[in-house]
Amino acid sequence: MAKESFDKEIQFLRMLVLTSGAFSRQQFAERLGISVHTFDKTLRRLKEVAGSLHPQEPQEPGKELTDPIRFSYYDSTDPLLLFLFRAKSVKETESQRISLLLGALNGQALTAMELLDLCCAGLPAELALPDEKTIRSDLKYLEEVGVIRREPGPRPYRYRIQDDLVRSLSEEELIDLYDFVDVMANTQVPSVQGYLLRDGLKKQLMRSPEAKYAAEPFLYKYHYHSRILDEAHLFTLLHAIRGRRRVQFQYFSPKSEKSYAAKNTNPLFERSPEGKAERALPLKIVYDHQYGRWYLLAHGREGIRKYRTEGIIQITEEDEAADEQWYRQKLQELDERLRYSWLIDTGKPVTVRARFYNPEGSDFNFVKERVLLQGQWGEIIYEDGHSFIYEIVVNGTTEIKPWLRSFGSSCEVLEPARLRREMIEEWKEIKAYYESV
Amino acid sequence: MNLFEKIFNHQIISRLEDSGIFTVTSHERAWLKTMLAHPAAGEAFTPETLEKLRIILEHDQAMDISGHLIEKARSWEKQVYHPLLRPLRRLMMHKSGIRITYSIKSGRVYADQYGLPYRLEYSLVKREWYLLWYHIRHRVFMSTRLANIQSLNPEYVNPAVAERILRKIGATLEARKDEVTLEIVRRYNEELSRILYALSSFEKKVEYDQEQDLYRMKVCLIGDEMEYLLSKIRFLGKRVRVTEGDYLQRRMLEASTKALERYGTSPVDEEMSS
Repeated sequence: MAKESFDKEIQFLRMLVLTSGAFSRQQFAERLGISVHTFDKTLRRLKEVAGSLHPQEPQEPGKELTDPIRFSYYDSTDPLLLFLFRAKSVKETESQRISLLLGALNGQALTAMELLDLCCAGLPAELALPDEKTIRSDLKYLEEVGVIRREPGPRPYRYRIQDDLVRSLSEEELIDLYDFVDVMANTQVPSVQGYLLRDGLKKQLMRSPEAKYAAEPFLYKYHYHSRILDEAHLFTLLHAIRGRRRVQFQYFSPKSEKSYAAKNTNPLFERSPEGKAERALPLKIVYDHQYGRWYLLAHGREGIRKYRTEGIIQITEEDEAADEQWYRQKLQELDERLRYSWLIDTGKPVTVRARFYNPEGSDFNFVKERVLLQGQWGEIIYEDGHSFIYEIVVNGTTEIKPWLRSFGSSCEVLEPARLRREMIEEWKEIKAYYESV
Repeated sequence: MNLFEKIFNHQIISRLEDSGIFTVTSHERAWLKTMLAHPAAGEAFTPETLEKLRIILEHDQAMDISGHLIEKARSWEKQVYHPLLRPLRRLMMHKSGIRITYSIKSGRVYADQYGLPYRLEYSLVKREWYLLWYHIRHRVFMSTRLANIQSLNPEYVNPAVAERILRKIGATLEARKDEVTLEIVRRYNEELSRILYALSSFEKKVEYDQEQDLYRMKVCLIGDEMEYLLSKIRFLGKRVRVTEGDYLQRRMLEASTKALERYGTSPVDEEMSS
């Protein structure tokens, strides 16, 4: 069976979150390069997943698209888009069987045959009963994903749920664990596994009567909600990196209007795919905190290639591995070129020097605080009573420019002269936007 | 490792939830094991719990990501955990009040203030924890950096009063919300994705005017978030314009006028008019 792809759902959700309500169905479908019919089908499927996970929120038909994913900052810190990772399709019989098996194993170790008996007794009569082979393959799967484990001892083997994590902790300890998982999932990358674990722990906590109010003590300000969508690609790419294997994919440059093209099985809906077929050897993944975006840096025919992971679909990994020594050398070259990248620019290094002015009429120097916090490897090389000079060697000025500009009149670029001129021009234009108001 | 596992399927998950079963995959354990190596773990658990967790995860692999994944433009990670998180979250759980002594930015100290803690808030921009609380005597909603708290002790609050305050906080926050409108300057429409990414941490609604090919964003925020939004607008530069929101417009005019003064390019009469 072909691997289930979530490319469409990911593109769909990203667009939904980023453009929240901007487009009609028709426009939305057009931009994704899919038919309105496919659009409706995808939306229905996602709503179904979201709805079954948050049943307390009523789903009124005909409400806005964004409703299933709307959130209220102070009400819940459940990540907005996690439900995507709950979307893997499973047959009704399989989902019943797996839940039944895990239910039987809760608190006791059982053999495959005992489980088969329990399963046959527990499944509704109208469903086809499983055979031994099916049960064994379910157990194999559950063991592989680490949910159950085989107990040591002679045949027939006994299986047990691997839930030491909650079983051996006291309630107090469970609260500490939940908090830690919550904090780390929200402040570190990657985070999806952490959010999934948080979900499980939260449900476990809520089962105790006094913990009703226990689960949401923390809030996180200024998250990039769509960042977790790209983690779907992360592990595929990491796998290729570990194996030093090339990947092939379709790439949609983020500047093109369309971000996804349906892979057509129905010739009636045929569209020419507008993505570009790419083939490259992944070297590194970069997470950019400035925008909350992921990049793939790879080696291609023309040397270092950079891709935004949001534009990548239909990834497949090739079989052949690159030579280890050669790969290591490419990696080293990349590291060298990235040394002075503010984000991922591998252009020529320049020295940027800027004067920052301390805030007037405030006892607290929040300008300096922010420069120290966000200025990466740059240094303060001079300081007087009302200003300080920050210096950094950086590849090109394009990537650092928005950051310098974000300080407004508290920052004056001194060098290079070209960047200084550009800043002056930009401020003139910005001023013109507001002078007439 | 695949993030789309059958075992994460929503139907299975809700079935297991109904029967009170906890499942955890090796992926999640690998993630946890990796995170436990972070220095924050030392502050999150008692040494005994930490040891227990290490034994539970002994046979699990940690995630192998360090050499392959790099983070750029990250703020210096000043603080991930703070020693006050554990006691404060328990006080909140029991809806207990607090006696708090804290300093403010200027260095001034407020001693023994009586309040009710509401939430702990982490700013991903400042990489720092804040306590959101209600000052009972002054009847105001406060936000205090945990780093500025000098002492903190539990103090009784009548549960009915606590309930009333918590409800009131919800209403206050809702009432504080403001709306501003930004517009993407049309010749930068091509950069839509980048602009939306940069603003994606705000609660907002995007409108698209097909006739004019124009994107408008209505950003919904509370007053003290204006400064951060302003820095994002300046970050985006010429690409966006504030079309509704007097305060932001005035501040943008001020910033551009003053910036040009710094560069010594502003004529005297313009200086006077600001």
